[in-house]
Amino acid sequence: MTEVKKIVEKEVLMNGTQAVAYAAMYADVDVVAAYPIRPYTEVMDTISKLIADGELDAEFIVAEGEHGQFETVKHASLVGARTLVGSSGVGWLYAMEAIVVTATDRAPVVAIIGNRALDDPGAYGVEHNDALMVRDVGWLLAWVDTAQEAFDTTLIAYRVAEDQRVLLPVGISMDGGFLTHSEQIVRLPPKEIVKDFLPPYNRGKYLVHPDNPITVAPQVNEDWVMEIRRQHEEAMERARVVISEAYESFKKVFGRYPGSTGDIKMPENPFVEPFMIDDAEVVLIGMGTVSKPMKVAIKNMRKQGYKVGMLRIRWFRPFPTQDVIRYLSNARVVCVIDRDYSMGSPNRGGVVYHEIRSSLYDLDQRPKVLNFIGGLGGREITIQDVEKIIKIGYEHRDTPITKPVYWVGVRGDPW
Amino acid sequence: MEIEDQVKYVEITYRGIFQKRLAKYIAEGIVYTAREMGKPAVSFGRYGDSPERNGVPAKYYVGIGNGISEEDLIGYSTRVEPDLVDVIVVLDDTLLKGVESWAWQGVQPINLKLKPNGTMIVTSLKRIDELAKMVPKKEFNWTLGVIKTEPSFSGLWAFKDDLTMEKVWGAIAKLRPDIIDLDHLIKYVSKKSNADKRISAIKETYTSVEYRTIVKNEGIDFLYNPPRLLTWQEMLEGTVIPAVPRGKRNEQFKRGTTKFERPTVDFDTCIKCRLCWIYCPDECFDETPDGYYDIAYDYCVGCGICAEVCPVKDCIVMVDESMFTDYRRPYEMWKENRVKYKEWLNKVRQARKERVYVPGLGR
Repeated sequence: MTEVKKIVEKEVLMNGTQAVAYAAMYADVDVVAAYPIRPYTEVMDTISKLIADGELDAEFIVAEGEHGQFETVKHASLVGARTLVGSSGVGWLYAMEAIVVTATDRAPVVAIIGNRALDDPGAYGVEHNDALMVRDVGWLLAWVDTAQEAFDTTLIAYRVAEDQRVLLPVGISMDGGFLTHSEQIVRLPPKEIVKDFLPPYNRGKYLVHPDNPITVAPQVNEDWVMEIRRQHEEAMERARVVISEAYESFKKVFGRYPGSTGDIKMPENPFVEPFMIDDAEVVLIGMGTVSKPMKVAIKNMRKQGYKVGMLRIRWFRPFPTQDVIRYLSNARVVCVIDRDYSMGSPNRGGVVYHEIRSSLYDLDQRPKVLNFIGGLGGREITIQDVEKIIKIGYEHRDTPITKPVYWVGVRGDPW
Repeated sequence: MEIEDQVKYVEITYRGIFQKRLAKYIAEGIVYTAREMGKPAVSFGRYGDSPERNGVPAKYYVGIGNGISEEDLIGYSTRVEPDLVDVIVVLDDTLLKGVESWAWQGVQPINLKLKPNGTMIVTSLKRIDELAKMVPKKEFNWTLGVIKTEPSFSGLWAFKDDLTMEKVWGAIAKLRPDIIDLDHLIKYVSKKSNADKRISAIKETYTSVEYRTIVKNEGIDFLYNPPRLLTWQEMLEGTVIPAVPRGKRNEQFKRGTTKFERPTVDFDTCIKCRLCWIYCPDECFDETPDGYYDIAYDYCVGCGICAEVCPVKDCIVMVDESMFTDYRRPYEMWKENRVKYKEWLNKVRQARKERVYVPGLGR
C-alpha cells in the first residue's frame, strides 16, 4: 500500500495576478523581465516584492519596453534560466517580433497575458483578441478562470514548456479586471513539495553554453524553413500528451486536480471543462471568467427544464479538437460566446466560434452553431445575458438558423 | 431564493490613490472575517474606476455567500459592480454629495445601490443630523452610521495604519452583525500584528458609533438621470468624438466629485493677472466682462494649482469641500452682495485647511 500524504494547504486571499506571481516564486524562476501595463502589472508588483522580501532569488530586469522585455527572457531561457514575463493588450503586441522568435527558437518562456482590449479606443477591460494574436505562431495558450487555476496552471506551464518533447513558450491568459483584479481564496500547497512536480529546467543539447557550442536562429532562407515549421508543429502535437501527463502528475503530488479546491471540483480533463453536458441539448462554449456566470445561469435554467450544459476551453493551443467532437456530437445547438472578434471572417463571427465550427465540420451529424459576441472591452456578460443566450439557443433546436451571430447587448442592435 | 438573499454585498466608496489600499484592506478583513463565520467571500474593485487618479471616487466590493457555494458566489460576483448592496462604507464625507466614479455614467447619488433597510457608514467629524441633511432620499427606511474621525488618507504609496480599517470593521459588526459579527472579527484580528491595539479600536467604535434610521423620503432630492449613451449607428466612426462647441462645457461629463476641497476667490484683492485661467488644467475659469475670473465648480477637480500660482496672498484659497452645499459660482455671489460674500468667505476659510493624519482611537 502506498502511503497517502496529507497535504495541508494555506488559504490566502489573492487576485489572479498575485496567484501567478506566487506560483512563479514556487517554481523558483531565475529571470523576470518587467514592463508595466494594466491589467497584468500586479504580477510584476508582487514578484518584485517577493524578491525584495528575500522570498525569491531571481534577477528582476525592468526592460525599456515590451520588445526588450520579451527579448530578455528569450535569451535568458536559451542559456538555461527559468523565466517569467507577461504583458497586456497593445503592450503584448508591441513585443510581437520577440514573441514570434521565442516560439521559433523553442524557448520555454512562460508569459502571463492579462487580457485587455486593443487600443483604440482606450479600455483596460478584458477582450481576448490580444492573446489570440499569437494563435498561429506556435505558442501554447491556456485560459484560466479562477485565481486558483491561475496558480496551478502556472506551475503546469513550466513543466509542459520545459519538457524536452515540447520546448515551447506558454501564454497563460486571464481576464483583465474580472480575474486579474478580483480577490479569491487560493489554496497554496507547501512549497517543499513543488520540486516533486517540477523538475529543474534542463535544455539538454539545446543549451547555449560555451561547453555546448551551438548556434540558435541562423539565417536559413528557403532551404530550411519548411522543415523547421514541420518540427514545430510536431512539438505542438506532442504537447497534448505532455499536458495530460502534467495534470495527472499534479494530482498525484498535490492531492487535487488542477483548478480544484476543497469547494470547487474541476472535472479531470486538462483541455476542457465540461459542466452538466451529458444530456445537454444546448451547450455553451466560452473561455475565461465568462464560465462563472454561465454555470449559475445553467443551474437556473436546468431548474426550469432546459437541458443545457457548458464546455469551457482551458487550452486553446493545442486546440482540444477531439474533446470538442466528443462532447458536442450529441448536442443539438452549440452557443459559442466569444470575448473577441475576427473582422471580416467567413461567418462574421468570433475566433473561437470559427475554431469550433471547423472542428465539427467532419461529423456526419453536426450540431448547429450559434455565435454570441459579448463582453468586449471589459463589459459585463451577466447571468441574465447568459440565460437569454440559452433561450435563443433552445429556440433553434428544431428551427433552422437564420442569424448565426448575435452581438450581446450592443447599443443599436436588438438581440 | 432571490440573488439578494444569496449574496450580501458591501460597497466601499473611497477617494482614488489617497485611500486605495485602505479600501482594499477593509475589504480583505471583511472577507477573512466572513470566512471565520463559515461563509465564502470574495472581493473586487470596480476596475474601470482608474483609482490611481488623485481623489477620484472609486469603489471596492465584498461579496459574501449566504447558503451558496464559493463557485456560485464567484459566478454572481464576476461583475463590474453589483446591482444592489447591503452596506455602503463612505471613507470621506465629502463623497456624500454624489460620485462620478465610473466615467460616462454621470454624477450618481451616494446611496444609489442601497437595498431597502440597508446601512451606510460614513467617516466624518460632522454629527449625524448634519449628514442626514446631505444624503439623498430613498423610498424606504435605511440606517446611517457615523464613525467620528478625520478621513484617513492611506493610499497607494504609503499605508498609514491609523486603525481606520478596524474602526470600519467595528462599525459594520455593530450595525450589521449579519455581515460580520464582533466575535469572529476579533478572532480574525487576533492573528494580526498589534492585535491588542486593533481590538481596542474595534471595541471602541463598536460602542461609540453613532447611528439612526433615516426614514423614507428623509434627505435631499437627488435626481439621477443616467446619460443616454449613443448606439453604434449614431456614433461617428473611427473612434471619433465631436468637440464641445467653443465656450460651452460638456453637461454630461462633470468631474467635480473628484474634489475634497475647492478654491475660493477674494475678488476684492484679485489683480486680474490671469494666471489661474492660464494654469487651470481643466479650464474651469471663465473670464468675466470686467476682467475677473469666475469658476465653474461643477468642473473643478480641486487640484489646487490656481491657489498655488496666484501671486496675491489669500486671494485664491482652497477650502474643505464639506463647507459647500451647492455649486454656485463665486463671481455671481460676489456681484450679488459683496459684504455678504466677504463674510461668507471668512467663514468657510476658517474650516479645516488640510487633512491630517490622526492616530486611531485605540492607542
